[in-house]
Amino acid sequence: MTLGVAEVASQFLVGISRSMILFVVCAGLSFILGVLRVPNIAHGSLYMIGAFATFSITKFFPGTTGFWVALVVAPLFVALISLIAERVLFCHLYQREHLMLLLFTFAVSLILGDLVKIVWGAEYRSVSAPPLLKGSVSILGASFPRYNLFLILMGPIVGVALWLFTTKTKIGKISRAAAVDREMVGVLGINVSWVFAFAFVIGCFLAGVGGALVAPTVSITLGMDHTLIIEAFLIVTIGGLGNMWGALVGSLIFGVTHSLGVLFWPQFAIVFPYMAVVIVLLVRPKGLLKSVW
Amino acid sequence: MKRSSCLIASAVSVLLLSFLLWPIGVVAQGPIKVGIIDTYSGPPTTYTYDVRDAFKLAIDEVNAKGGVLGRKIEFTTRDDKFKVDICLSMAKELIMNEKVDILMGTINSAGSLAVSEYVKGEKVPFIVTFSKSEKITGEKGHRYVFSITENTAMIGKAAAAGLAKRPFVRYWIAGDDYEYGHALADGVWGNLKKLNPKVELVGQSWWKVGEPELTPYLTAISAARPDAVIFATGGASMVNAMKAAKATGFAEKIPMFIHTATEHSTLAPLGLDAPEKVIGTSNYHFYYPDTPKNKAFAKAFKEAYGRDPKVGALYGYLAAQFIVKSIEKAGKMDREKFIDAMEGMKVDSPIGEIEMRAYDHQAMLPMFMGVTKKVPGYPFLIASDIVTIPAKEVMPSIEEIKKARGK
Repeated sequence: MTLGVAEVASQFLVGISRSMILFVVCAGLSFILGVLRVPNIAHGSLYMIGAFATFSITKFFPGTTGFWVALVVAPLFVALISLIAERVLFCHLYQREHLMLLLFTFAVSLILGDLVKIVWGAEYRSVSAPPLLKGSVSILGASFPRYNLFLILMGPIVGVALWLFTTKTKIGKISRAAAVDREMVGVLGINVSWVFAFAFVIGCFLAGVGGALVAPTVSITLGMDHTLIIEAFLIVTIGGLGNMWGALVGSLIFGVTHSLGVLFWPQFAIVFPYMAVVIVLLVRPKGLLKSVW
Repeated sequence: MKRSSCLIASAVSVLLLSFLLWPIGVVAQGPIKVGIIDTYSGPPTTYTYDVRDAFKLAIDEVNAKGGVLGRKIEFTTRDDKFKVDICLSMAKELIMNEKVDILMGTINSAGSLAVSEYVKGEKVPFIVTFSKSEKITGEKGHRYVFSITENTAMIGKAAAAGLAKRPFVRYWIAGDDYEYGHALADGVWGNLKKLNPKVELVGQSWWKVGEPELTPYLTAISAARPDAVIFATGGASMVNAMKAAKATGFAEKIPMFIHTATEHSTLAPLGLDAPEKVIGTSNYHFYYPDTPKNKAFAKAFKEAYGRDPKVGALYGYLAAQFIVKSIEKAGKMDREKFIDAMEGMKVDSPIGEIEMRAYDHQAMLPMFMGVTKKVPGYPFLIASDIVTIPAKEVMPSIEEIKKARGK
């Protein structure tokens, strides 16, 4: 097999575009981990709900506008669900040990999975990309899906927005402070409970964005949550727990090793991202970037 | 004294009871009972509802005319939730409690094999409606099990027969990394190699089941520039593969074959987003063959259920026809006579006359190979340029079956 620059470049771009969806979801997961110290397994379920909601919204608004409406409304819908979950369930459990939280969020993910089955049924669903993003463009002679280009654009936009939010806004700064020392933030007279709720909702909103972004590229089905959440936790771990840039680096490692592995050694492509994880953890057990824990 | 009166009393009551029970068994001929076990929850319902609904339609028609041999046909369904153990316990329940005369189902191959093993002991006929394992009527076949659906051996033969007529030489194989994927790929490739020894395998890619994003695989395959790609996928991966093929423009550049790519179950959910030019095979299309019989069948199904019939509808219809015709031929509902009657039975269907091969109890189904195409008037893609691969080219030979059964 002769590989030209074009093939490698386009494969690299495909990897990056997949990384961007992972990044959006993992940034949310990492943010929640950093601020709330909750390893939220239900994060994957919220991502799945985001995708299913996108399906329903595009059915409700057929035509060109549907997807764009869904891109805004579906994450908001997910945020609303997460707000309810946080106020009713999560807010009572922050003081528990991690194993308890892990089991608890796993239970929530099962419940949400069943709710999805009740509401949307178990059939495969498909969302089409908006006409503007359909088809492919030629990059150095290799064809590349337009939608993936859009994903490559969306990743940095979400990243920068989250960075601006955490560093430039007051509530963002308080969240970061709470991540480092929650008692101190409480002592300063800030209602930590609502800060946590807010941080949780922001994180879950990102899961919803990820779900909406992934919808046109896959079949939306039950079980997509579990596939994602395992990858997401690995990414957050190798990047550094709670570190947003770590989530970005981790996602890029994961996505790019996978797509290049598929190109160079297809029989073993499944293993490559996990090998990368093992190597990173051997060399830097606390993750590549500074963990906030 | 006391003891003898007690004896008399019990003798009388036994007599009375037997008189009470007697007429139910012999005089009043109740309905003939068919039990259906299938997956009625989760994604497989895309396929299984059509089997059940078409079966009901055909049975209702027979019952409206007074049934078969003056007896109505009744059927009961059970959901196996795609689990082998539930499948088996439902089969037991249907035979023991519901006292069904005939069993049919399911879409889960492992479940079908388990039920098949069970009915062998119980001597109850079992008609497999959607399981694709070639073991059912091959290696594990026996007197009490029948199949009215295609299996992996038939899919492999049909695909190879169709592909051998095309000018491709350098092939790539890609698929879901599990039993069905590999069985399908091995079936197609082994037969293709026999029919056209010039073909060469340039590479393979296998992804884990449920892999959401297939774009990197497709871009990698197109870098190798094979003449054609054989995809061995099923379930959710079908939709993923079709979507990725559309988005990357893959299908435009490299011919791709996927079994059931042209089937309505795959094309309906994708709407107009499915890629064109994908080569696929299927046992049934509601628009082909363009015969009055098929048109009438598709029309009746759509009127009854508000949707076009998919491949499952053909299987449901065939099940009903084979059951009714075989009972008629047997002269009464006797399980052994029913099986004798069903062996070699020929029934008329929307795709022409179908024979139940006497040796292995496998329905001899033709396969239709076509290419996906947008056609004005349909809100989804349909198969075009359909080539019929006749049953004799699709069926494994009797020698192969004998070999599989170790004879």
